[in-house]
Amino acid sequence: MNASGAQGWKKLAMGFASHAGFLAVLLATWEWAARMGLLDPTFFGNPAGIISFLWANFVQGTHLWIELGWSVMSTLLAFISGSLAAVLTGLIFVIFPRLERFLDPYFSALNALPRIALAPLFILWFGLGIGSKIAMGFTLTFFIVLSSTVAGMRGINQDHIVLTDTLGASPRQKFFLVTLPGAIPVIFSGLRLGLIYALLGVIAGEILAAEHGLGQQLAYLASTFNMNGVMALLVVLAWLGMAATSGMTRLERHLLRWQ
Amino acid sequence: MRSIDLPLTGNVVAQQAAIEIRDLTLSFTAGTPTIDRVSLTVPHGQFLSIVGPSGCGKTTMLNLLAGLIHVPHSGTVRIQGREPRLGDHGIAYMLARDSLLPWRTALENAAYGMEVRGVAAERRRERARDLLVRVGLGGFEKSYPKQLSHGMRQRCALARTFALDSPILLMDEPFGALDAQTKLQLEELLVDLWQEERRTVVFITHDLGEAIAISDRVVVMGARPGRIVTDVEIPIKRPRSVRELQKDHVYHELYAHIWEMLEQGYKK
Ligand SMILES: Nc1ncnc2c1ncn2[C@@H]1O[C@H](COP(=O)(O)OP(=O)(O)OP(=O)(O)O)[C@@H](O)[C@H]1O
Ligand SMILES: [Mg+2]
Repeated sequence: MNASGAQGWKKLAMGFASHAGFLAVLLATWEWAARMGLLDPTFFGNPAGIISFLWANFVQGTHLWIELGWSVMSTLLAFISGSLAAVLTGLIFVIFPRLERFLDPYFSALNALPRIALAPLFILWFGLGIGSKIAMGFTLTFFIVLSSTVAGMRGINQDHIVLTDTLGASPRQKFFLVTLPGAIPVIFSGLRLGLIYALLGVIAGEILAAEHGLGQQLAYLASTFNMNGVMALLVVLAWLGMAATSGMTRLERHLLRWQ
Repeated sequence: MRSIDLPLTGNVVAQQAAIEIRDLTLSFTAGTPTIDRVSLTVPHGQFLSIVGPSGCGKTTMLNLLAGLIHVPHSGTVRIQGREPRLGDHGIAYMLARDSLLPWRTALENAAYGMEVRGVAAERRRERARDLLVRVGLGGFEKSYPKQLSHGMRQRCALARTFALDSPILLMDEPFGALDAQTKLQLEELLVDLWQEERRTVVFITHDLGEAIAISDRVVVMGARPGRIVTDVEIPIKRPRSVRELQKDHVYHELYAHIWEMLEQGYKK
């Protein structure tokens, strides 16, 4: 036990050290190339500049934390509203398959539409604020979670349904005891993707037209040729996406420990 | 051990058979009927086994009793004097596959039937725990189905079925896919549980030895069309031990006799 625990730690530390080493070499090479004029900092920035940008805006100043907060809030609202609407719609579709067949062409068309094309419309309808960003994230999350909800509920093990029927379950019991828990693994894979797409929709909306948010900051910094700022925000966004995914993984592992 | 709730019209019910099938003919498609003029009366408390070639309509008959199929048929079918109805609390149906819910622990699965039928939480937990111990799953209450072996899962399904207080148990090849040793264990267990409560059991199996060893009566069906070929009382006295029976000559005579009938059922 103890030995393997110690070995586990050792492995982890080794992994950490090798990644740190790799990044250090990469960043040093980049910095060196920038100083030698091999890689133009006007277009690529340089590591020292990026780090000092992050330091100034996240540690000394709090200004970017607030922008980050706007983006996170929009993403969460888009994700929650989109997923709830999708799960409810999926439920209605499973109860009324004919409605689904009827609506299918319209939903397919909407789903096929490059969603970013809706941005100008959303900005007109919901303004430059958070509303149009939530709408963007919503449209992306909704369709992903909807299709996984329908697939999950359709894929329920028929033996479970037959057993539950012979027990005399009410439709309500059947839904809460079998259909919903049985569909959760598939719904979850949709939710995980849906969260990432909610973030994508929100950031895209912010880049196009907004008063706040990391996307708006990114567009602004790019337009003023602040490459260190742009690179710094890309790092932050990658980190944000990873945090979202790992959060979902943890939740999934907890909720689906029976798998 | 536990009394079974009978309707208030106890007198009438007591005279009725648990299951009454008269002149049942049923076809899924035009042509040869799946079940042809089957009549079968099962008195209360009888342990009845049905054997017969694959496709002769055994599962179809159980499904009909459980109210699972709605295909036009002629003749009458009565369960405790009533028409078959899906979700009848008088029936506990055990399917061939265990159909345990993978997100529920063994204890929660054993309690599942009672939960659906509205037994109070405290009582069903107690009864489920009791039955898990009886089927040899004491200590596995918190295990999920994926952590159980095939035989253990089937035991858990048996606990779930027995936990219901339905007076009629329908079992469709519940031990079909088990190894001989596990099967023997579960057969003895089933007989023990049945002897305590004397419910009516209709047990489908492909294993003639099993049928003779555990039943009061064995019905042999033939295929195309599905019909009853013979109906044999098993006079071996109870309590029986499934293991000991292997030495009993009555058992072997019955086996030889029914086997012959079964072969005729295959031929037509
Ligand atoms: N839903 C259905 N639709 C059409 N035909 C069916 C249906 N269910 C069963 N059958 C047919 O009815 C016949 C009897 O099937 P059943 O499942 O009752 O057989 P069985 O005796 O249980 O066989 P086995 O021992 O293999 O389980 C088969 O020929 C089958 O093809
Ligand atoms: Mg069958």
